[in-house]
Amino acid sequence: MSERLINHLKRERANRGLTQADLASMVGVSRKTINTVENEIFIPSAILALRLAAALKMTVESLFEIVDS
Amino acid sequence: MSPLEQEPGARPVSLIDLADQYSRKRALLAAIVALVFLAVQLVGRPVFTGQRAASPGVSLQYWAINVVALLLVLATGGGLFNGARVRALVNDDVALQHRRSALGAGFWLAMSVAMALYILPLGRTFTAREAVYLIVTPSVFFALLTFSFLELRAHGV
Repeated sequence: MSERLINHLKRERANRGLTQADLASMVGVSRKTINTVENEIFIPSAILALRLAAALKMTVESLFEIVDS
Repeated sequence: MSPLEQEPGARPVSLIDLADQYSRKRALLAAIVALVFLAVQLVGRPVFTGQRAASPGVSLQYWAINVVALLLVLATGGGLFNGARVRALVNDDVALQHRRSALGAGFWLAMSVAMALYILPLGRTFTAREAVYLIVTPSVFFALLTFSFLELRAHGV
């Protein structure tokens, strides 16, 4: 059984009324990076995951989750 | 006009927007440059005489200059004249991963072509220069195209 990393970035960003560009600006990455993380094309580094969680005032564990696929 | 200066009345362009625009342009340009590079090689392929020439022909020199330029773009991400902050955004984590994947794809194609030249009974021998040409040309093309594809996909194009 393999494991997969999912995230709630899109939902949490939308809940706060932020655009991808807003979040990108807060974290200091490109909009493309936010888009690929949200669509689970790109698995972020630990540093980026921490920065994303900090920008949304969440813990990394509540933003990212490992599920069995 | 510097990238951050605006025409009067124009909507302000943030660094994020600017990086986004540049990144899209770069991805499209990479595909176009890769296709042009391959087309030029298919149309005007250098002639290898089998003799060890004192210096490579003019088309081989152009080819070598092209390859070095394309490899520099692949290695650095280009945009060296953009500001440091825009460049950092354009070459962020995702772009770096795409570059690594593209270079990996180019490397494996180069190994495949090299092994094919070595193993397959192609009915003729190749000079070292010709073999280098046959290995490097498709590899650089494929690496650039892979980078372009990954970047455009990330942009949702």
